[in-house]
This record gives sequence, structure tokens and C-alpha cells, in this order.
Amino acid sequence: MSFSSELLIKVLVVLATAPVMALGLTLLEVKGSAWMQRRPGPLHVGLRGFIFPLATAAKYFQKETIIPKDVDEPVFKWAPAWVIAAVVGLFTIIPLSPTLIVRDLELGVFFLLAISSISTIGVLTAGWSSANKFSLMGGLRAAGQLIAYELPLILSVVGVVIQAETMSTVGIVEKQIEFGFPFVIAGQGIAFIIFMIAATAEMMRTPFDMPIGESELTMGFMTEYSGIRFLIFYISEYINLFVMCAIASTLFLGGYHIPLLPTEWVNFYGPLVLIGKTFTLAFLLIAIRWSFPRFREDQLQTLAWKVLIPLSLLNIMVTAIMKVVF
Amino acid sequence: MKSGEKKTLNQSDQNEFINSIQSSFKNTSYNFDTLKINVDISSWIDTHKILKKDFNLSFFNWLSAVDWDNEVKTGDAPKEPVTPSFEILSCLSQTNSNNLVISSTVISKENAEIESLVDVFAGANWHEREAYEMFGINFLNHPNLTKLYLPDDYEGNPLLKSFELISREVKPWPGDVDVEGMPEDSIVVEEKGS
Amino acid sequence: MSQTMDPNNMPFLSEASVSVEIETEDMTLNIGPQHPSTHGVLRLVAKVNGEKISSVEPVLGYMHRGYEKLAEVRTYPQVTTLVNRIDWVSGFANEIPFIAGAEKLMEIEVPERAQYIRLILTEMARISSHFVFNGAFPLEIGALTPIFLAMEDRERVLDLLESVTGGRFHPNFNRIGGVKPVAGAGPTTKKDIQDLPAGFYHDTKVAMEKVLKAVDTFEDLIGGNEVFQARTKKVGVLTKEVAEEYGVSGPILRASGVEFDLRKQSDYLPYDKFDFEIPIGENGDCFDRWSVRTSEMRESAKIILQAIEDMPSGPIQAKVPKVIKVPKGQTYVRAENPKGEMGYYIISEGGLGPYRLKIRTASFSNISILPIMLEGALLPDLIAIMGSLDFVLGDVDR
Repeated sequence: MSFSSELLIKVLVVLATAPVMALGLTLLEVKGSAWMQRRPGPLHVGLRGFIFPLATAAKYFQKETIIPKDVDEPVFKWAPAWVIAAVVGLFTIIPLSPTLIVRDLELGVFFLLAISSISTIGVLTAGWSSANKFSLMGGLRAAGQLIAYELPLILSVVGVVIQAETMSTVGIVEKQIEFGFPFVIAGQGIAFIIFMIAATAEMMRTPFDMPIGESELTMGFMTEYSGIRFLIFYISEYINLFVMCAIASTLFLGGYHIPLLPTEWVNFYGPLVLIGKTFTLAFLLIAIRWSFPRFREDQLQTLAWKVLIPLSLLNIMVTAIMKVVF
Repeated sequence: MKSGEKKTLNQSDQNEFINSIQSSFKNTSYNFDTLKINVDISSWIDTHKILKKDFNLSFFNWLSAVDWDNEVKTGDAPKEPVTPSFEILSCLSQTNSNNLVISSTVISKENAEIESLVDVFAGANWHEREAYEMFGINFLNHPNLTKLYLPDDYEGNPLLKSFELISREVKPWPGDVDVEGMPEDSIVVEEKGS
Repeated sequence: MSQTMDPNNMPFLSEASVSVEIETEDMTLNIGPQHPSTHGVLRLVAKVNGEKISSVEPVLGYMHRGYEKLAEVRTYPQVTTLVNRIDWVSGFANEIPFIAGAEKLMEIEVPERAQYIRLILTEMARISSHFVFNGAFPLEIGALTPIFLAMEDRERVLDLLESVTGGRFHPNFNRIGGVKPVAGAGPTTKKDIQDLPAGFYHDTKVAMEKVLKAVDTFEDLIGGNEVFQARTKKVGVLTKEVAEEYGVSGPILRASGVEFDLRKQSDYLPYDKFDFEIPIGENGDCFDRWSVRTSEMRESAKIILQAIEDMPSGPIQAKVPKVIKVPKGQTYVRAENPKGEMGYYIISEGGLGPYRLKIRTASFSNISILPIMLEGALLPDLIAIMGSLDFVLGDVDR
């Protein structure tokens, strides 16, 4: 198979998988929140409400796209594209098995951190170009938040990289298989917690949803968006949730592998194992979202700069020392 | 969080308070459990200062006005003749007992102005703005005497007795009739289909 | 706000630490009248410097319905339908002070049983109002779950109110001299009119136990939540002196440490027969305001349980003339409503309706402190402070 046809197939598979995963997580979110709030949730939209996310997506397709008069049109129109490009781009390095991966980059973790920060541009330009004060404040909040939490996200991963001695995601998983334990047990527990907190902030989910902050900024940087562009923001939020949880499972929870399963069958059970782990982590984040209020902007920054970053630096130090000693 | 001790109504305390008010102010009345002091317009501010300082009436309850007139466009007119005037009412109370005082002063309709209470009780601000737009009373030295509820271009002072309720002009209030009969010609049965 | 600093005149500062603050113009942010957290149609014109608020000017009147004027063209029994709609979250409680005032002017002694029924239903209105607060306040801070739990529990209380009065929000149940016989109980001329629906005592007991359980849940889910505490403690502190000067009443005043509750101090309903406590706060911050209201729900449930235990029997309506004419006189009657002190100054000239009716509502005075409390606050604190004041726009604008 030529490189270009292989690339085409891989891109098509990713483009088909990403929205499906997002819809699955949407369903998990609506049903999970309904369960937490003692209500039935969606019941009537086909198959006992199970195709409800599809209906929601279809609804946005047929809605009118309203573009306010004073917006900076090209910037406003392209802002959602930055966000979705950043989150879908991350699919490149998620290994479903040693071979089922778009590209096993040698600098995989580096790629992850570089690409994920692109969405900041999208959010900031969306807030700026909307010609709305609430959007602007949402965009600025988002920029401050995403920059602040990029650091603990990077630094918490550094510990894993030191321990695995590689930046390739497949390499990290293989190291965990070789080790016998996933890294979350073997030394990187604190890093895992920091990673999840930072990832929640990166995703702008409650308790870190000030850029959206419905009760404060109506919808933050998304206020003026409607129709398909709003759908892109909405769906990239859930794709991002999937990607972040998938990466967390890969880096900390052993990725596509479960101990005791035969490694020669990994191409069959690998995708299922990873998706299972991802959805479990996502459910944890969903439970957190529906039980906590949101932080204040200054409390969020305090948490990032005064707690998470020193803690992750400490984690790197301890990991490095342990690496040298053992 | 601590819980308050049980307090019972103390009738003698209340009587003592009423007596002290009545001995300090000349023109007072106590009807229907409501203690009212009538003061002259010139001592309006001083009265509130005294009530706040000497009688511990630190809780500013409300301030409003009454339009006294025999010629009314809405509601019933007073049976006895009254001099057309505005009565300004303010209510102060205490926060450790049920003691409450209504102060009242009368101003003429032609020269409807009175010193603002904002310097004594900052809370009077919005109440005076309401009285200003509803009655057209001018509160002197008020920091921001603008309309509170009504649109800026609204004309008229709605709570004046001379201000008509237009809907009642067009069609009188049915009074003690609970349900009006439906007028015959308004019932139109639309035929659908075919 | 910022002063331009000249580094040359500050020898004590090393060069690196000198930061010249850039003079920026404040941005005017128009919050409302359509905004998710303004409880309806309040509009706040805020001057913001980044996230910091330099001044706030509330703009009222979007819900102004002119009840004081409308009351002048209505008879006394008709006014009760109006006052129901002032604070629509606790409609029943609004009727009490007006009816009590009219009764005071007419010098009518209300039968004890009617007073007990009024008391029970008022406390139910209080519980349902505080349920709404317990849902709406966390929602504004960003917690989405409590409102569903609160609304579910409130439904039980509203069902009880409905079973007695026939209305969930606007019962219009009080009559001058007593209360209305239960919905569908037959003609009122019968000697033994049914005043409470069958099974009311049992249902109330069950509902109140559920309320007590719900309060425990809220104290755990909301009060015990670290993020909620971080957002509300030491935020929007209101001192006793400022609260009194602005006429701030009810749970907000009590949260600032003032032990004042008209249920203890006044005698508009026979509260002195029951054993209950007034929860008061210490710091006067948003958390205390939440905490006072939530504890109040427990006390209200206690009052109701006691009241149905020793409910007196007897008539529910005093003898009143067929056409109600209130003799000439003036009186001010106030009551402790869920939102604070509500009072009516009734000026009667002996007619069928009041000559002038001044309606003193709690929320009006309560939100008049907003410009003071919000000065220098952060934008997220604005939402927390507004939520903790628990106002209803109908109660503000009348």
C-alpha cells in the first residue's frame, strides 16, 4: 500500500471514529447526570433515548447559522476549526494496539503537548472576534486558564517519560507491560492526579468551566455561535474529553493492555480495552462535573501556580532520583 | 452558627417605649398597634436623627407618600373633606424588638419638596426615588434623583389620585361580580375542514 | 485607580520590581435584563476593570406592575389576589400581613384553627421558597445537581399546599376573618365545613420527614462541598450596621448576626405556642446566608410537625359582614416572609377598598445594598452575592 492511500484510510477512520466517540460520551454524560440527579434523562428519542445524541447533532445541522453584524467574519468563522483540528489531531498518537495507530511518533508525548495547545488560539479568537463583551471575557479567561494548566499537564507527563525512557506512546505502553504494573501504581500516582486535574481544566469542564460559565458569562466565548459552528465547539469538547482520557489511560493505566491477557491477541482486544478504560475515566470526570460548583478565576490560577506546578516539579525530581537509584 | 435564645413578647417593654416616644414628641397617635408621630416639615430630618440616636430605631424600614385629595380619579374619595396635600411617611424600627415608629409630615402640593433623608439613612435612596417618580415630590439634596421604575420618557406621576387608570376608564371594574359573562358577539365558532 | 509611578522617585525599589500599571478605561458591562443569573429581569450596569467591578448601578422596573395603584381600585378581598403575585415563590406568605392588617382595622378575632392553618401553610411556603434558593444558588455558582433534588422535594410541599388551597403558587386562600374551606368541600354555609383535605396530617408528616432528610442532604452536598465553601466563605460580607441602615431584613440580616425574627417578636400568627430556634450567622458572608436559610427549613419543618400535633378544632371563619367595609384608620402590619420583612401600610377611609396601600417588600430593600456590596468585587463574586441575596423580581418591583 502506498503511503498516500494508507494515510487516506487512516484519516477517514479517525474522522469517522472521533464523532462516534463524542456521541457516545454525550450519551454517557446525559444518562450519567440524569442518574446523579434522580431523573430518567432522555427516554423517548428512539431506542429508549439511546440515539438522543445523534438527534441533538442533527438538530444543530438544520439550525440557522447566525453571524452577528459586528463580528470579524473570517476569524469568527474559522475559530471552531482551530479547536476541532487540535483535538482530532491528537488521535494520531493514540495507540489502540502496537500496530493500530495512525503514526507511532518517536516524540509522541511532545506532539501531544504541542498540538493540544493549538485549541487556545481557536478559543481566544472566538472570544475576540465575536464583538461581545461576555465572549471577550470568556476568551480571555480561557486563554489564561489554558496557558496556566498547560504547564502542570506537561510537567506531570515528564515523570512518565523519565520512567519509560521514551516519548513514544506505544513505547510507554510496552514499558508498562514489561514492568507488569501500569504507571499509576508504579510511581506516577501523583502525576496521574495532576494530569487529570490539568486535563479537566484544559477541557474547560466543571469545576474549571469559567470560560463558559453559563450563569456568569451566558456561554462565554461560544455566546454568539449557533448552528453548525456551535456544534463543532460542542462536539470538539467531547472529542477532547475522549482524547484526554484515552491519553491518560495510555500514559498511566497501561493503555490497550490488561495484565494476564495474551499479547499476541492485542490487535483484537486492544481497542476494546482502551475504549473501556477511556470511558471509565470519562465517567469519573462526568461525576465530578455534576457534583461540584465552579472555582473562581483567581482560585483556579492559585491552584495551578501554587499547588500543581510545584507538586509536579517535585514529582519529576523524585522520579529522577528513583530512576538513578534503581 | 449559634442559635438564639427563646424570646417572648414583652408587653411592658413595648408600653414603656410608646410612653417615652409620646413624652418626647408632641403630636403622636397610637391606633391599631401603630405608633405614628406627626412632625413639622422643618423638623423632618432632626426627628429622624433623634429617633435613630436616642431611641435606637436604627432599622430603616420604608418611606413613601400619600396623596390626600377629595377629587379623585381612581378609587373612592375620603368621606370627610381633606386639605389637598402630600403626606410623607417613613417607618423606622428596632432590630431587637417589635418597636416601630411611623413618622409623618405634610407638605403642600404646590411646593412639593422636602429635605432628603439619605444623609441620615442611606437606605432612603431608592424609596425617595420611588416617591419622586410616583408622586412628583422633589427631595432636596438627594444624590441621584432619577426615575427608579418608570421609563425615562414617562410622563405623569402614577400614584397621584388625579392620575387615571386608563383601563378602568374604558371599562369600569366589575366590582363584586366575580365572573363576567362572555359577550354574545365575541363567540365565533370557526368551522374547520371542508 | 492606578497612579503612574515614576521609578526615578522610588529609590527604595530595585529596577526589576517597578511595574508601571497601564491606565485602562473601565468597560461597561450590561448584565441583564436577560441573563441567566439575574432571577428574571434585573439589569445591572457594571463598570468592570478586567474581572474587577468598580461600580454597579441596578436598573429596576422591568417587572413593575403598579400594585399600589391597582389596590386603590379594588375591594379588600380582591387585593389578596394581587398580593399573591408579589413574591411568587412564596405566594401564600404574602397574603398574611395584608389580611392581618385588614382584620386589625376591622377588629376581628380570627378563630384559632384558622390561625393554625395559616401558620402551617406559611411555613410550607417558606420551605418551598428556601428549596428554590437551595437549588438556584448552587446553580449560579456552577453546581448543576442540587436544583433537581430541590425541585423534586419542593414538589411534595407544593402538592400539600395545592391539596389545601387548590393553588400551587397563588393560593388566594385567606379570607378576612379566616380561611377558605378546602377546595371542593361543598357550600360554605354548611355547619361542619371540611377545612383540611383527608389524609393531610399523615401526608404532611411524611413530607416534613422528607424535608428534614433533604436538609441533611443539602448540608452535605452543598455546604460540605469544598469548592462551594471556597466560593462563598468571606465573600460578600455584609455588616450589621449597613444592613440595618438599608433596611435589609430576613435571613440576610440574621446571617449578619442580628437576632431578629418577627415570628418571635411579633404576634401576627401564634408562633409563641411552638418551640423553634432562630438560626443566626456570624460572618454575614454568602455561606452564612445559605446556612441560615437551610437551617430555617429545618425549624419550619419542626414548627409544622408541632402544629399538626396540637391542631385545635373549631370554626375556621369568624363572623364578618357580607360586604366588607373597613372602618377609617391606618395601620402597619408586617410579617416574617421567607425573603424578609414584608409589611402593608393600609390607609382606610371607610370605603370598600383601601385609600392607599403601601407595600413594603423584602427584596426591594435587600437588593438596594447591591451597589455597596459589589464595589470592588470580582465578576464571579457578583453572581455569588446576587444568588445569596435570594430576591424575586416581583418582590422588588411590585
